[in-house]
Amino acid sequence: MSVTLDRPATLTMRSAARHRLWRGVAQVATYLGLAAALVFFLGPFFWIVTTSLKGNEDFFAYPPVWIPSDPSLKHYTGLFTRSSGLRYFGNSLIISTLSMLAALVVSLPTAYSIARWRFGGGFLSTLLLVLRMLPAIALIIPIYLMYKAFGLTNSYFGLVMLYTVVYIPFAVWLLVGFLRDFPVEIEEAAMIDGCSRLRALIAVVVPIIAPGMAVVALFAFIATWNEFLFAIVLTGIETKTMMVLVTSFTTGGTDQFYGEATASVVLGVLPAFAVAFMLQRYLVKGLALGGTKG
Amino acid sequence: MRLFALARSRKQWEPFAFASPSLFLIAVVILFPLAYAFYLSLLNFDLSVGPEAEFVGARNYVEALVRDGRFLGSVWNTAVIIAPSLVLELLLGLGIALLLNRNIRGRPIVTALIAIPAMVSPVMAAMAWRMLFGVKFGAINNLGRQLGLIDVYFDWFATPFLAILAVVLVEVWHNTPFMMLVLLAGLQSIPQELYDAAKADGASPWQSFWSVTLPLLKFTMAVGIMIRMIDLTKLFGLIFILTYGGPGGSTETVAFNTYLVGFKDFRMSYASALSYLIVGGVLVLTLVFMWIQRHREARAA
Amino acid sequence: MRRLASITVAALVLMAVIWHVGGAGAQAKRPYEGTTIRAVVNAEYVKYSLSLVEKDLYDKLGIKIETEVIPADAFVAKTLLEFNGGGSPWDLVMFGPSNMPDYGRHFEPLEPWIQKLKLDFQLDDIVPVFAKVMLRHQGKLVSMPYDGDIHIMYWNKVAFERPENRTKFKAKYGYDLKPPKTWRQWDDAAEFFSGWGWDGSDKKLFGAGASYKPSGSGYSYHWWRARFFAYGGNYFDANMKPLINSAPGLRALEEMVKTMPYYPPGVLLFESEEPKTMLVKGEVPLLHSWTSTGKRVGNPAESVIAGKAGFGLVPGAEIDGKTIHRPPITPGRGMAVSKYSKQKEATMKVLEFISLPDQSLKIVMDPKTIMDPWRVSHLRNEKFRKAFPDADKYLDAIEQSFPLLVPDPVIPAADEYQRKLSFEITEALAKRKSPKDALDTAAKEWDKITERRGLEKQKAAWGEKLHEMKSIGIEFHPEWAAKAK
Repeated sequence: MSVTLDRPATLTMRSAARHRLWRGVAQVATYLGLAAALVFFLGPFFWIVTTSLKGNEDFFAYPPVWIPSDPSLKHYTGLFTRSSGLRYFGNSLIISTLSMLAALVVSLPTAYSIARWRFGGGFLSTLLLVLRMLPAIALIIPIYLMYKAFGLTNSYFGLVMLYTVVYIPFAVWLLVGFLRDFPVEIEEAAMIDGCSRLRALIAVVVPIIAPGMAVVALFAFIATWNEFLFAIVLTGIETKTMMVLVTSFTTGGTDQFYGEATASVVLGVLPAFAVAFMLQRYLVKGLALGGTKG
Repeated sequence: MRLFALARSRKQWEPFAFASPSLFLIAVVILFPLAYAFYLSLLNFDLSVGPEAEFVGARNYVEALVRDGRFLGSVWNTAVIIAPSLVLELLLGLGIALLLNRNIRGRPIVTALIAIPAMVSPVMAAMAWRMLFGVKFGAINNLGRQLGLIDVYFDWFATPFLAILAVVLVEVWHNTPFMMLVLLAGLQSIPQELYDAAKADGASPWQSFWSVTLPLLKFTMAVGIMIRMIDLTKLFGLIFILTYGGPGGSTETVAFNTYLVGFKDFRMSYASALSYLIVGGVLVLTLVFMWIQRHREARAA
Repeated sequence: MRRLASITVAALVLMAVIWHVGGAGAQAKRPYEGTTIRAVVNAEYVKYSLSLVEKDLYDKLGIKIETEVIPADAFVAKTLLEFNGGGSPWDLVMFGPSNMPDYGRHFEPLEPWIQKLKLDFQLDDIVPVFAKVMLRHQGKLVSMPYDGDIHIMYWNKVAFERPENRTKFKAKYGYDLKPPKTWRQWDDAAEFFSGWGWDGSDKKLFGAGASYKPSGSGYSYHWWRARFFAYGGNYFDANMKPLINSAPGLRALEEMVKTMPYYPPGVLLFESEEPKTMLVKGEVPLLHSWTSTGKRVGNPAESVIAGKAGFGLVPGAEIDGKTIHRPPITPGRGMAVSKYSKQKEATMKVLEFISLPDQSLKIVMDPKTIMDPWRVSHLRNEKFRKAFPDADKYLDAIEQSFPLLVPDPVIPAADEYQRKLSFEITEALAKRKSPKDALDTAAKEWDKITERRGLEKQKAAWGEKLHEMKSIGIEFHPEWAAKAK
């Protein structure tokens, strides 16, 4: 659809200048807008971090102290010692890492099946799509009862298994997207040389879609790290994760334990920062590749 | 052609073998429990009463839809939170995506920075904002007082209206980056030639936005909205930390209410019924949304 | 001769050394060295309170305590879920005694262990009203008190004794400004003090404090029931019909809704500590709350009203010339040994230790622990009575309240009844429902709970409690609601 206006073909001096002015204003506005966005989205983190470093009574001061006058790590040490923060951080790390690896190992062959052979046809694809929409609350009730019966509550195994399986539909969806773009010929070449399909997959395909797999892995890690409902119901004192630790600061007033509360938030968002930086260039591509393409 | 060669060389069991580990796990850890939950929803299993339960058919479902004011209230609350959140996320996300789509320096890092809120847990987002909203020592009130905007105490959770506002604000802060990324991907897939053609025809930036960008972005926007909408029906962690459903029950979402029923009242059967009602509701929403999409596309054609 | 002497001396010295080392060695070996028991509590400050006795516990018995904190909101749910499922990862369990009917059967009875280990819990030293609600389940001794929660009233003397305030009040209300004895006087005072600097400053202060969040087992219901019972209410009648939506209940809730503007914004989300903070910072002149408030009031580190605070009975209602006070006993916390524990002996010793008069005194005296006195010796202890200005008056106010206390409905599903009622009360306070709708909905929810637990079972359990309440003079008097002044 083209827009035709009756305007002289050549630009006059005035409209050229106007054009340049408009471009300049637009650029400034763009940077201002993005700056505002950055302040809005990152400002809270700034305050949380500085608050977690306030070593004295700055938190209670008015006029408010924005930069700590006596920065100290005492809230972090308090979190690690009194509130077993180190242990819970470790739990989150272990559970997320194991779930990420397991999800990848199990999802890749499945994605391969679907991408190469349209395994399961429309039925499987629809099932996986539906499972992705499933709310955790529908699953937690039967899972809780089943886990109680088998003694799987408060266990790494139980949690990792649950997180792995819950992430499979999403991982498969992303991986199918990556695999579809992968030319069949390369595998064929490897297989003609005599290796089995599985070996071909591992030796040839994986290295090439490794960036895609890394994206899936990191998203799986973060999704597990951030998960809350399964964590509060199924963890016990040994397996508590960072997400559950945060809840112990919501009663009795966030004012009293402000240091530990903010410190636990800082630790809890570390993976998000790390992943965001690692995936910088893939953020949009990752979504475009595996995402909006139907 | 190639596919035939492939088909001949493949072993019959290979596709199944490759997919079987995850299929097995899905069956055991997701499908079986879901079936069990459905079965539970037809009983009156209540852990606080005892281990025995009897079959009651659809009674839980009927009770939820007819007698349970709190459940119906939670449905309403969820809708009240979803609507403005979706609108704001779309508008804000689109605005930022448009800005980022322009030629700016350091786009990857700016994108990554803006994306961060979407990658933190809703629990962390809620905790951070809960402290920001702190009545006496929170950053927002402190800033407000410094700038002379507020007097003494402003409690952001003092009334149901304010509490919902706070929830929407945190939600939008948390998830606009996701919407922004989706829209940015969509924007970047629009070929430059179309813009050039429009400019050649003399269209202003505003006009090319309406005539080129928006139509081609429609599908992406629809996908983004649908994903967000489904995610919003699951709203739980954010509520748990930010308001715990309060004041009163004004910010209880369907997922939160179901959690209370199942893990505070121990009414496992009733909670299962509620969760299936949620699943049903999400399904209906999705189907309605897809129907509207198809209808619009048919009309546009 | 000399050789014999030196041998004898050497032998004596050797014996002395061996005896000394042997004896000291035996002393140094603590009886339960190396044992760690697991405790579960519902807040960080409870964990902190246990840490106060940790060192002595370890020195004496060699036992360490590993404490898990489950936030109050999820506490009853999670612990009962574990117990009802047939086990528990904890040895020492903190619990709310109102929930004894639901918890009791999971606790290890103490009697056999008292015999076996010659334990002494000094039961005579426990305040009788706490002994009644915090010790036994179906007649068996299963737990010890840890925190004796009742409500008393606190007021800021500056507010009430400033001459300008007195003149202004008398002019407006026609009677002298005094710490309120009835709810009407309380409401007048709250209205009077709301919105200006009654401490002589130009700050905008508030009328009174309260906690209206329906979390945990529900706070708002504690504030409501002080009025409800004063106006003649009771929880159920003999047939388990809820009486909460009767005239006394309605009047109580309507008054609370009407006086909302005099309370600080955010009161709907206040839990126990926020209003206490406001009281000790001189921002509200009146508060009725748990006795732990008193310790914070007297703590100069954070309180600006230490020495300037009054302590008294929770207000009541004037019926036929007599003032009826009905302070709530919200019996705070008890400690018990889990039936499923694998270290019962060690845990029993720990329970005995933390319940010792001097150890428990440490816990209830520290202002950061939020734990309250529950032994008679606590209340009479000289050090406690001198711990802060007017501490003795504070402890006296507590003792005065004892004969008048109204318990929670201590029947199965107590937690659920309280939660559902608190929720509806706060809904009315948040203006999401009318007081009548709120209480009617609550009564309907109570019926549903009773139905689920079994009408006959609940009737039997409540029957006992109804009888107990009658014996201390608490009965249902709907006609008081209209009469009360």
